Amino acid sequence: MSPRVPLRPLARILEARAKGENPDLIERENKHRRHEDMRDRARLRAESRLVVLAGLFALAFGAVGVKMGTIASSDPSEPRAHAAGAAIAAARADITDRNGRILATNLVTHSLYAQPPQMVDPARAAAELARIFPDLDEERLLGWFTGTRKFLWIKKRISPEQKQAVFDIGEPGLLFGPREMRLYPNGTLAAHVLGGARFGQEGVNAAEVIGVAGIEKAFDDRLRDPARAGEPLQLTIDLTVQAAVERVLAGGMTMMNAKGAAAVLMDARTGEVVSLVSLPDFDPNDRPSPLVEGNPSDSPLFNRAVQGLYELGSTFKIFAVAQALDLGLVSPETMIDTRGPLRWGKYSINDFHDYGARLSVTDVIVESSNIGTARIAMQLGAVRQRAFLEALGLTTPTGLELVEAPGAKPLVPANWSELSTMTISYGHGLSASPLHLAAAYATIVNGGTRVMPTLVRDGPIQRGPRVISPETSAIARDMLRQVVTRGTASFGEVPGYEVGGKTGTADKPKERGGGYYEDKVIATFASVFPADDPRYVLVLTLDEPVMTSGREPRRTAGWTAVPVAAEVIRRVAPLLGLKPQIEPLTPTGVTLTSN
Amino acid sequence: MTFLEYNVKWTPTGVRKLFYLNWYLIFLLIAVAGIGILMLYSVAGGSMTPWAEPQMKRFGVGLAMMLVIAMVPIWFWRNMAALAFAVSVALLVAVEFVGDVGMGAQRWIDLGFMRLQPSELTKISLVMVLAAYYDWLDIGKVSRPLWVLLPVIIILVPTALVLTQPDLGTAILLLAGGAAMMFLAGVHWLYFVAVIVIGIGAVTAVFLSRGTEWQLLADYQYRRIDTFLDPSIDPLGAGYHITQSKIALGSGGWTGRGFMQGTQSRLNFLPEKHTDFIFTTLAEEFGFIGASSLLALYVAILFFCVVSAMRNTDRFSALVTLGVAVTFFLFFAVNMSMVMGLMPVVGVPLPLVSYGGSAMLILMIGFGLVQSAHVHRARPK
Repeated sequence: MSPRVPLRPLARILEARAKGENPDLIERENKHRRHEDMRDRARLRAESRLVVLAGLFALAFGAVGVKMGTIASSDPSEPRAHAAGAAIAAARADITDRNGRILATNLVTHSLYAQPPQMVDPARAAAELARIFPDLDEERLLGWFTGTRKFLWIKKRISPEQKQAVFDIGEPGLLFGPREMRLYPNGTLAAHVLGGARFGQEGVNAAEVIGVAGIEKAFDDRLRDPARAGEPLQLTIDLTVQAAVERVLAGGMTMMNAKGAAAVLMDARTGEVVSLVSLPDFDPNDRPSPLVEGNPSDSPLFNRAVQGLYELGSTFKIFAVAQALDLGLVSPETMIDTRGPLRWGKYSINDFHDYGARLSVTDVIVESSNIGTARIAMQLGAVRQRAFLEALGLTTPTGLELVEAPGAKPLVPANWSELSTMTISYGHGLSASPLHLAAAYATIVNGGTRVMPTLVRDGPIQRGPRVISPETSAIARDMLRQVVTRGTASFGEVPGYEVGGKTGTADKPKERGGGYYEDKVIATFASVFPADDPRYVLVLTLDEPVMTSGREPRRTAGWTAVPVAAEVIRRVAPLLGLKPQIEPLTPTGVTLTSN
Repeated sequence: MTFLEYNVKWTPTGVRKLFYLNWYLIFLLIAVAGIGILMLYSVAGGSMTPWAEPQMKRFGVGLAMMLVIAMVPIWFWRNMAALAFAVSVALLVAVEFVGDVGMGAQRWIDLGFMRLQPSELTKISLVMVLAAYYDWLDIGKVSRPLWVLLPVIIILVPTALVLTQPDLGTAILLLAGGAAMMFLAGVHWLYFVAVIVIGIGAVTAVFLSRGTEWQLLADYQYRRIDTFLDPSIDPLGAGYHITQSKIALGSGGWTGRGFMQGTQSRLNFLPEKHTDFIFTTLAEEFGFIGASSLLALYVAILFFCVVSAMRNTDRFSALVTLGVAVTFFLFFAVNMSMVMGLMPVVGVPLPLVSYGGSAMLILMIGFGLVQSAHVHRARPK
């Protein structure tokens, strides 16, 4: 602020008066100057304010322009909502079998919820709901409807008839939300492969479906990926074959009085699992809750084919023999000492029968001699045996695309002693799953290249590394064929399809340790067909089978697992497109004429 | 006595006034309105009805009104300011009792020949009355508390009335416009700082209290605020407009899809596509280039207003010109931010482009005042 100038400075007034001028002119001039001054200051201030305002204008226009630029340069994609409710991506990809037939899909149903504050007649609503859904309690509903709750679920899934019935109540406080649910149209078929799904985050307008087991869980991210929602996940399972195997296995399990059964049917060359069955099973549409007490392996949810680790008995003998053949330690005709019992420290190894003093290597397999196999294994030694079983994949999880698979790590002895070597050679002391066994058999018979089991068809399958030579593989196939034609698996003969295989009957270990049960066995038949050029491997396991039709109960695989497996092969071989090799019957009583 | 009276050297009279109009401004206004009519034609699917033709007529009426107002000396309008304000506040009160309810809010008064939104009228009368107030007030007293309180009351009365309608968009415009006028008039900046600090403090307190024992609002109120601030929480409800307009903006890209080729607006995804959200049609059909051209026109309009104000020595003239410019800018800024999701949807049209009579007429009246100030400014002899 400049100092205030007086409007009528006395000095100038007096001077002007002296000159005879009008002093009012001075006042007017000063007044004018003062106003000019004030105006200039006001202008200055106004101008600085204008600059600030212009700055704000520029800022706003800049922000709008920049934002417009970023939006313009962004992809014009529909923004994916990330809010509760609307965010829930309902579209879960379908799962199909190898031929594109639906194994799992989605179905739109409705959920039923209530908003008590909007209710007109809570008492009537509760009564009507209790009538429509007999499992609902009228008193409790009424308690909720008249309480302080603003929202409550009544039913997560209702049928169209139920929806209509609830709709007819005419109660505005009862509301429906669309809800996509997972549907397994084939019921229990391939239940253990598919696993199941449940609702995750639940909104009024949709609910998230989350895989809880099997393929559904293993591929949860893939199935929920909105970008691939229209692209079904194709499995290697064949729906028709799966149905046939399940049917036969269920019948065989009943006939053999077994408490459980498992079967794995695998392409011997690629490792594609065409059928995988575990009984008892369940309906993935209504998945039972896990057992709270008792042995989880007794639950229907337990996948015996993948999760069940069993001592698989004599089926292992072919591994020791194949390795010895491959290393050139023996030939099929080499005679092996089978005198028993074979003593090792305080243990002794016995045979089921006394096979005499000596058997050829082929006959050790055909007759299934424990002593003979153990003697061959002693030639191999622990280190080489272990390496060979590792190469067959029998010491690590299988890598199958089920969430259950990585947990199924075979139980191997902590100290792989000489005694272990002998017992493992005939299938005791190492526990593996039927799936492990199927993959190992596929490797042995397909010409000797490692097979990795798989359930998903995606791209070409690479051949694994060589484990044994093709020649050894051919000899092993021949031996397995002879087991069926003249050995322990004679019930395995299927007309038209040359079946080869090896039986295995292992006593079940007692749960609390301390040796084995005498009357509880795991009976396994590991088979290949056709034996001369194997296309498929079938491993079939029965848990605690007993045949009571004879004079005394029979439990060995030759009497239990083998006939069931033969029936499975009889049924599925045509479905798999294998032509029977039937020698033409010579027609009798028919005269062939030609003209 | 005002400075004007000291400095009147020469002002044009009679028909000569026409030569002293700010013709640049007039051409810019016609250009912007032309874009709007073009867009309304496109939104209607290539038809003059139902929007483009009435809009054209209204713009014609507006243009005529602007010229008439421009011919009347600015000092007449200064003397009318208080009366105009009183009338518009009275109409705001009246609308509470006799107003029609349209689009969920009570905003209209039916005058027979046209339906009037008194809240629109208030936008101009508030600018006028504040300009007249600061013209009358001695400059030295501008920042004295009592003389600050009076304009605050002048601003808050119509704002409160508009809020009860409820019309949040207009309330924001009145509040921000009034504050800008006070700022331009030279009220000490500490007042503004204090208001901003208190405002931020209050908002912070409200949000901090959430979930604690001394929570200041009810839970549902917080949820409403959440949706208001981030409409993507509720993409099918409150957030629907914004989601759709973002898609439209995004699909326009740099050069757009071409005239009449817009999908979002054409396929009726957007409600209000011919009014508040018309910008999305422009952005989709003409892309970033088209949209930024409109932006440039707006900037040019503001530029001419500011230059005119700075060359004017009369305080009322300068303040009214700037006030109209600020109002115009606020229309644009609020609409644009709401369309682009920078700000919640509050219902403010895009000035001169959106379909709608009241807003366009009121802006043309405002520009009439600007022209009047421009014509009647003191010029050296």
